[in-house]
Amino acid sequence: MVATVAQCVLLPVLGIVIGLFFLGLYRKIMARLHWRYGPPLIQPVIDILRLFFQGGMSHGAVFDFGLVLSLAGAMAIILFIPFAQWCPLQGSGGMLVILYLMLLMPLGTALSGGEAANPNASIGISRKLILALGYEVPLLLILLSVMSYYSTISIVDIVRGQQASVWALFSWPLALPGIAYILILPAVLGVRPFDTTTAPQEISSGPLVEYGGKYLAFEHIIHALSLFLGISLFVNLFLGGAANPIVFFVKILVVFVACVCINAVFPRLRIEQAVSYLWKWPTAIAFLGLVVVSLVK
Amino acid sequence: MQIILLTSFGGAFATYLLAKISSRLRDVCAVIVSGLLVVFVALLYNKTPAATLIPSFVGAPLTVRLNMLSWFFAIAIVVVGFLSIVFSFSYIKGKERADFYYLMMLLVNAGMIGIVLSADLLTFYIFWEIMSWGAFLLISYNRGPALRAGMKYIVMSVIGSVVMLAGILSLYAVYETFVFSELAGRIASASPAYSLACASMLCIAFAIKNAVVPLHTWLPDAHSEAPAPFSAVLSGILIKMGTYGLILVLYLFVGVKLFISPTYVWRGFRFVLLVLASITILVPSFIAVMQNDAKKVLAWSSIAQAGYIILGITFGTTLGFAAGMFHFLNHATFKALLFFGIGAVEYRTKTRDLNSLGGLLKRMPITFIAVLVGTCGLIGIPLTNGFVSKWLLYKTLILEGSPFLAFIALIGTWGTILYGYKLLHHVFLGQLPEKYKNVRKAPASMQFVLIILSLAVVVLGILPGIPLKLINTIAVSMGMDSMNINIFGIASETGALNTVNILSVLAAAGIVVWIILKASKKSTRISQEDNYAAGAAIPAERYSYTVDFYNPLYRMIRRYLRDIFDEFYYWIAGRVQAFSDMVRRLYVGDVGCYAMYILLFLSALILSQVWWRVW
Repeated sequence: MVATVAQCVLLPVLGIVIGLFFLGLYRKIMARLHWRYGPPLIQPVIDILRLFFQGGMSHGAVFDFGLVLSLAGAMAIILFIPFAQWCPLQGSGGMLVILYLMLLMPLGTALSGGEAANPNASIGISRKLILALGYEVPLLLILLSVMSYYSTISIVDIVRGQQASVWALFSWPLALPGIAYILILPAVLGVRPFDTTTAPQEISSGPLVEYGGKYLAFEHIIHALSLFLGISLFVNLFLGGAANPIVFFVKILVVFVACVCINAVFPRLRIEQAVSYLWKWPTAIAFLGLVVVSLVK
Repeated sequence: MQIILLTSFGGAFATYLLAKISSRLRDVCAVIVSGLLVVFVALLYNKTPAATLIPSFVGAPLTVRLNMLSWFFAIAIVVVGFLSIVFSFSYIKGKERADFYYLMMLLVNAGMIGIVLSADLLTFYIFWEIMSWGAFLLISYNRGPALRAGMKYIVMSVIGSVVMLAGILSLYAVYETFVFSELAGRIASASPAYSLACASMLCIAFAIKNAVVPLHTWLPDAHSEAPAPFSAVLSGILIKMGTYGLILVLYLFVGVKLFISPTYVWRGFRFVLLVLASITILVPSFIAVMQNDAKKVLAWSSIAQAGYIILGITFGTTLGFAAGMFHFLNHATFKALLFFGIGAVEYRTKTRDLNSLGGLLKRMPITFIAVLVGTCGLIGIPLTNGFVSKWLLYKTLILEGSPFLAFIALIGTWGTILYGYKLLHHVFLGQLPEKYKNVRKAPASMQFVLIILSLAVVVLGILPGIPLKLINTIAVSMGMDSMNINIFGIASETGALNTVNILSVLAAAGIVVWIILKASKKSTRISQEDNYAAGAAIPAERYSYTVDFYNPLYRMIRRYLRDIFDEFYYWIAGRVQAFSDMVRRLYVGDVGCYAMYILLFLSALILSQVWWRVW
């Protein structure tokens, strides 16, 4: 009981720390690839601390509420996704709860941004929801093939199943969904070339445009957490999770760096291009994967 | 039980008569009648009375009975019926023909209660017709485009009734009984071809009422043109009478064991139903995204949500059945809530056009919260009731080896997110147009209804064990396996659900974040223009993005989302009309002309006699 509560408190903190580290790393890697020096690794932490001491501007109760909902949702999901051997809420609904709790992040931000009534924010939200629909099509096919293959909706059981044999990415019926997941991972994370939602040059950072001070700090934390969550989910589902936290951290780090390095060289896609990309090859591969899995079962 | 029927029908006419004396008396009477019905039905919980209404009606007795299944439907009917009457107070006040409106609302309500109480097909059919015709009169209440919507509805409804009547009479001709309990199992033991034919005939009638694609085309117009309180009843309860009928056919007459058995005939039948249900989920969800009329969005969404119910029920596992039944109850709460919420907005602003509304959050906060809760339930956000029923459905689809059905259901949910947010954003968020600056909040009676239903959505989402226990009893009584229910969800080896964990985690995280937000440096409240225009003076116009909200998506999927069935039916209707016009040309209205027809006919007779010697 005490261990569970301790995990419930510590895991979100750990998630935020790792997520912020990733944000810093992202900027650093991008800078180096652009032949710049780049900001120090802890720049996001400095930014957030500074932002907390600036008041910021609010548009009303829903503006605040949406942001709280978004961040609370992000922190809650961490407890449903195993971090190495720790998964405090494993018996509470499994993958399906994760899928639905993941909605709270975009929905909360959308509510909050909606009240601001800034056209740039609304355009960003509209793009975010369309992009999410775009990557959910292959993502759901992928998740369903994993769940059908292991005949469970519990993510802990999926991890256990892989630790008993081989990583799902290298087992033959699940290799196809694994490849599809790698293809859509940057869209799930919202990094280049899929950063249409927060494109600074086109729509003034989209939903972020109205946030300042502590609100912007919260938005940064949500972004950091979404990076952490997206990669943790991939590592748990296809790279066999991990037996101890260090290995788990190394795995998510490798996946993240690889993902950023490969995609940093692409220019930003327009939303239609992004969706038609996501609905072509990744969906086709994921669909084939699900067909294979349901034939094998 | 006779008292219930007497109250419902007698109350309807009493209300109409009292309305002739004073409108105040009419309102009071309508509330008392619908309130009494709630009490009566609630009192009958867990009782199984049976009675004969009329010993002999065209040679067969009209009988009624109550069991857990019909109680489950009945309580939903009376509660939503009661709330819709309360909501009608302000909504209908001052409109013409209000007395007639109340009479019809109560009659439809009574008809629906009759349907779920009836113990034989004849009684069922009589109440079914009362409900259908009452609904027709209410749909066309507003006149104008509503007349056309009502006509579309009644044509399809009559076709359904005729098919159902044919099925009922055929069954009677073979088994010489109308009674459910005697018919149970007999259809199944007949030859497969006959039982399939009977089941299909009844299912077509129920599918029309339940708006399963391709028989859905009446629904979008009817739902959006009907008065708001009746839209809530129509969407929440009335179309679910089709679901009740389907359960009767599939689970009682055919029997669930046979229905999900791998027999050639039933496998094919079930496959067809499952495919139709998935199309019903997928396409309407995305058609709803493209609508610009608030009630049209909800109407298309009703079709899609009914698809989830049908999918769960035709899937046939205990979890699937539970998902379908629970989703029926949930849909009755959150869709009624949404229709009431949008009805309140329409009442205050006199428009349903999403592109011209906006920013009403600051004027109608309670309505906003209600619509937010309703939308969350519709999407299935955890801690609302919609989540639990969808969770059950996905779980059974995944674990019983139908991942493609699960995929379609999940993608349908993404459509729901898109139109759910569109609804919230266009009506309540964004900029408040100048002409709605003085909109007042919804009247108290409307707020009462909204609050009750919002609470229901949340309470059923946190304590899903209450309805699930009931559904479990129903499932067991129909010969299915029992589920391991506890008050916060389901315990099982293949994946448990525990809403209290989700609640506590979300609440704790929310409180922590809230405290941090409030504890750090205080923020300043600003209006829209301050930040957007950076303090510069800008002319008072609309500065928000609502028209063509999902434009990039529209352009990609629009051409795949034509309602081909609607076009097809209109084509048929056009042909029929052309043919009738041709026939009508014979009737010129001139006596001489008719005399000529008669002469021609007689001479034809004489000629045929002369030539062929018929007699």
